[in-house]
Amino acid sequence: MTERILVLGAGPGGLVSANLLALHGYDVTVVEKSEYHLFQPGMLWIAFQGHPPEKYMRPVKDLVKPTVNLVQGKVAEVNLAERTVTLEDGRRLDYDRVIIALGAHLDYDAVPGHSSLVEEFGDYFRGADYAARFWSHFKAMSRGTLVIAAADPLYKCPPAPLKAAFLAAETLRRRGVKDSVSVVLALPFIHEYPSETVAEIVAPKLREAGVEVKTMFTVDSIDAENRVIYSLEGESITYDLAAVIPAHKGPAIRLLPEEARDDDGFIKVDKYTLQIEGYDDAYAVGDCNNAPTSKTGVTAHLGAEVVVERILGFDSRFNGRTNCPIVTDGEASFVISTYDHPPIPVKFSIFKRLLEDAFIASYWSSLRDPEKWSPIFRAYFEATDPSRVGGGW
Amino acid sequence: MGERIVVDAKGMACPGPITKLVKAYRKAKSGDIIEIYATDPGFKPDLEAWIKRTGNELVEISEEGGVIKAVIKVTAK
Ligand SMILES: Cc1cc2nc3c(=O)[nH]c(=O)nc-3n(C[C@H](O)[C@H](O)[C@H](O)COP(=O)(O)OP(=O)(O)OC[C@H]3O[C@@H](n4cnc5c(N)ncnc54)[C@H](O)[C@@H]3O)c2cc1C
Repeated sequence: MTERILVLGAGPGGLVSANLLALHGYDVTVVEKSEYHLFQPGMLWIAFQGHPPEKYMRPVKDLVKPTVNLVQGKVAEVNLAERTVTLEDGRRLDYDRVIIALGAHLDYDAVPGHSSLVEEFGDYFRGADYAARFWSHFKAMSRGTLVIAAADPLYKCPPAPLKAAFLAAETLRRRGVKDSVSVVLALPFIHEYPSETVAEIVAPKLREAGVEVKTMFTVDSIDAENRVIYSLEGESITYDLAAVIPAHKGPAIRLLPEEARDDDGFIKVDKYTLQIEGYDDAYAVGDCNNAPTSKTGVTAHLGAEVVVERILGFDSRFNGRTNCPIVTDGEASFVISTYDHPPIPVKFSIFKRLLEDAFIASYWSSLRDPEKWSPIFRAYFEATDPSRVGGGW
Repeated sequence: MGERIVVDAKGMACPGPITKLVKAYRKAKSGDIIEIYATDPGFKPDLEAWIKRTGNELVEISEEGGVIKAVIKVTAK
């Protein structure tokens, strides 16, 4: 009998896993709660530059190969010992192997006042509709203070708030109101980026764009009525418009045994094999696991390839590679690191912006047909391996 | 008496031990002690900047066999 593999979640981690396994003849079922897949970086362009949300959404059914079974439903419980998955509507699915790729859960209740803020203004993390709501406020802004901040230092795509600040500044400049709106980027880190190497490259760009940076500012509470954000470090900022990245937690499901998760609910895996500790038939891929690397689409994609290769019998190992783009108007840089190598200095250039635009353009195809892109991506990742180009690129 | 919170941030390059410290600090109360272990060489100057900004008390900082140990008393909350 062919092995039945259950893939939970149809983000990049789940789709790449499912489509590659289907290609190798496995009986693959994907469970996804939503009808559409959202290209999450697109929320930046919706919120800060007014792009239409449809541009970044595709029906999940168009992103899976024809031999993949798609179940629309919400996972309520995963029982690793009994090898069962229960959906919210009571359906029960059994498996021989499971790949959990449910992403991170965004906790808007961790910081008092946050849910009022996001309901009022929207943001660029909660969904395409919230991003469109943010744009409806931002596009009319002609004076005052825009604050871009975070409730916790751990969030997906570490450069996301920097990209938000650059894109916001660009829009304000084009509208001719950059001088009357101040853009304040408040970050939990010691420097402009968690890695000082990257901070040194990005700091002059932020100055050039007229973005005011406040470091060591982790949002602790929000007074939505008086429009003040307070930090854990003891400071405050008054805003006219604000977007705060919420605290990230592991997926909002019941996972048995409970020891399979860390304090924040992320699923504990071996960082090289992405196997859930103690279970050789269960993996956690992408944002939902506790691997000590950045939570990004690139890591989810590369992690999924490793898991598939392991299921096929190869001794592949995930090296924690990141490739997070930082875009300004017209230029880009990437944050490149692995488990063994901290971020290397990567200069901003127009060429890298073209490369990033090419990555974005290949997104849908790289999820549905990952096997076609793997050789190209592999060549890129090998050529830019931080141990090879340690001195910078 | 405050609680003693032990944070193991060894071997974490990115996003780094400060992330773990901030997470522990959010849960801490005045009078608590945070004891953090890290291997990232950038942690020392980062911690000093953090102490200066937040006004908490650095009770002890030492290094042994590549592991930095810092003991912080929460006084600014
Ligand atoms: C503003 C922003 C900018 C970003 N920029 C970049 C970038 O430039 N480059 C990059 O690489 N990454 C970027 N990212 C990060 C990237 O989008 C994520 O890291 C990536 O989507 C993670 O993939 P995943 O498959 O692990 O999880 P997700 O993509 O989050 O997928 C999880 C899936 O599981 C489904 N799901 C969740 N719970 C349930 C349930 N109970 N039952 C059924 N289904 C469920 C969800 O609907 C979702 O489809 C960005 C993210 C944001 C928010």
